[in-house]
Amino acid sequence: MLTVQGLTRCFGQVRAVDGISFEVRDGEIFGLLGPNGAGKTTTISMISGVLAPDAGQVLVDGVDIWERPKQVKRMLGVVPQEVAVYEDLTGRDNLVFWASLYGLKGADRRRAIDEALERVGLADRADDRVRDYSGGMKRRLNLSMGLIHAPKFLLLDEPTVGIDPQARLAILDVVREVARGGTTVLYTTHYMDEAEKLCDRMAIIDRGEILASGTLDELTRLAGEGDVLRVSGSFGAEDLRGKIAGIDGVEISRIGDGFALLSVVPEGPGLAQLLPRLLDGEAGIDDVSIQRSNLESVFIALTGRALRD
Amino acid sequence: MRAMLAIIRRDLMRWRRNPGRLALLLALPLVLAGVFALAFGSGGSGLSVRVLVLDEDDTPLSNLLAGALGSQEDTGPLDVEIVGDEGRAMIENGEASALVVIPEGFTDAFLAGRPAALRLLKNPSQRFLPQAVEEALRAGAVVLSQASRTLRDELDQFHEMLQADAKPDPLVIGAMSTRIAEKLETVADYVFPPVIELEVASAGDGESADDGPTMQAVLALMLPGLAVLSLLFFAQSATRDVMEERDRGLTRHLLTAPVSVGEYLLAKCVAVVIVSALGFGLLIALGVLAGIDWGPPVAVLALLLAAATAASGLLLLLVSLTGSEMSANALTTIVVMVSAMVGGSFVPLPVLPAFLLPVSRLTVNYWATHGFLTLIRDGGGLADVTTEIAVLSTAGLAMLALGAWRLARRIRRGDV
Repeated sequence: MLTVQGLTRCFGQVRAVDGISFEVRDGEIFGLLGPNGAGKTTTISMISGVLAPDAGQVLVDGVDIWERPKQVKRMLGVVPQEVAVYEDLTGRDNLVFWASLYGLKGADRRRAIDEALERVGLADRADDRVRDYSGGMKRRLNLSMGLIHAPKFLLLDEPTVGIDPQARLAILDVVREVARGGTTVLYTTHYMDEAEKLCDRMAIIDRGEILASGTLDELTRLAGEGDVLRVSGSFGAEDLRGKIAGIDGVEISRIGDGFALLSVVPEGPGLAQLLPRLLDGEAGIDDVSIQRSNLESVFIALTGRALRD
Repeated sequence: MRAMLAIIRRDLMRWRRNPGRLALLLALPLVLAGVFALAFGSGGSGLSVRVLVLDEDDTPLSNLLAGALGSQEDTGPLDVEIVGDEGRAMIENGEASALVVIPEGFTDAFLAGRPAALRLLKNPSQRFLPQAVEEALRAGAVVLSQASRTLRDELDQFHEMLQADAKPDPLVIGAMSTRIAEKLETVADYVFPPVIELEVASAGDGESADDGPTMQAVLALMLPGLAVLSLLFFAQSATRDVMEERDRGLTRHLLTAPVSVGEYLLAKCVAVVIVSALGFGLLIALGVLAGIDWGPPVAVLALLLAAATAASGLLLLLVSLTGSEMSANALTTIVVMVSAMVGGSFVPLPVLPAFLLPVSRLTVNYWATHGFLTLIRDGGGLADVTTEIAVLSTAGLAMLALGAWRLARRIRRGDV
């Protein structure tokens, strides 16, 4: 089990990660979902022993990584957000180097390299220089380097950023396969659909804080059982309350600066009565959008902003 | 230890996979050495400029001029040959660098004070050597022109004597000689240095040419300094990797493996020293092939390792002071080039101005070059270069430690 407790890290005046805690259970795929700049990479850097936290603790199978870094690092495989491969070397050279860092040698190393190359579909390009690879191939090589020593825990930091859909699917398939083999996976992403399809459980992170965590069902319930209406404009809170007064199944979830989120019970009369009132042009409402409950609506419900903002 | 070896192996493999990078760093000092050798060398290794002289005027004066050029047994790099009409065909066939033609009527025009021209036909397939002949001829033309003006009366009298059928009167020749001597005395301070130079060459006294440096001697003088410059280039290239790896996230990724910051930096330092030493070693080998005796192998090896340590330390320290690969490039290039200029890589140490020596002694170039010159030129041994080895090793290790410490501190602060 991977346990993160009160992890905090500041860069100058900026609190990049602010006392976050979560657990990743053995064999599960745990997602850390949040927009760019939410603190995902800083969190992964602290968990993987690259960046010392200002406060908090990371326990891997009960061992603190900052107390016994080498012991813990041997259990971790890390796939960074950057394509961290040597482009002037071949794919195989990169894997030989990486395997050597973990003490693999001889026949064991050759077998591990062949398996890793086969798994990510690069066996036929293994002896080409990486600089001749496509972006997706580099990403797959990046992934294979994290798997070469068959780690117990695999940490993936946005491994599908900037690649084509086909390569993305290939990477997600490998992650699923690895997890099925018993590896515990911590997966960070800002792609809502990836988190929904891949993760058993997840935490939503924004501005260095964990806003919520749980399974997909548990999280979507946070946004309410029904639809979410996002209303934006220059209206006042009292104006909005006046508009929804007397309509059953509609309530204000959140009011922010220039926006409000309304929860509408599905299959009720609310939406049909509400929309004409909101759009009558008298309340200063410029835009109304409807969203089914998903991680996006959860994020909106929790932060008032869309995940992509 | 295992991880350190893996990092060192990987760095060396990257060099092996990039022969172009290796060749470039090796070629640069060799090209510079070649330029210096061509610029200052002569004779010895067969460099020569073949110049043909065709005397179409065929007068006593033109014969004298052609003979003065062609009679020398050894004119250093100049191989002057007096030819007939076949000279034009020879130059067209590329058999010489230049053909100097003394045209018909040259003597009459010169002695009468009219403009007289020498013609120069250059070999179009060559670039530098004919240019050198042209420059030399221009200088000669200036001397002749000045002589024409200064000795106007005497040349007129000489002209009349040549045209007369009668035998010249010895008394007239004596009086004319006296007047020429008096005139030359008045301009002696200005004219004699070049005239003397000319006379030494014209006398057929090969001593001056023999004293000129051979290409091998120039290489022996220049190659150590240029090899040290190459060493700094190798160290620069190798240490630049530290910043490149940082900027590309490779260091951050590497530190997720069971590798400590100290192990990583130590491995990088060792790799830089090895790469630099190997690069320098290759240049030493090339020097040996060119006939340079570098001295006792043990002394050479010790000095090489000390120099490689110092170069690596200097560059690692510089890189640790910068914030990105780009700024590292800028700073290290400036320091390397300034060190090369004041430290004896571009100007040989024996001819370096005295006022530069205090600054020069602050450079890796000075101590390494000084050590190698002691071995090569003075025939020194290990005992003669212990000071250089001590200075380079101590400074190198200190700079390596300081640079590694600064980088480690930055990495631990999260600047990775």
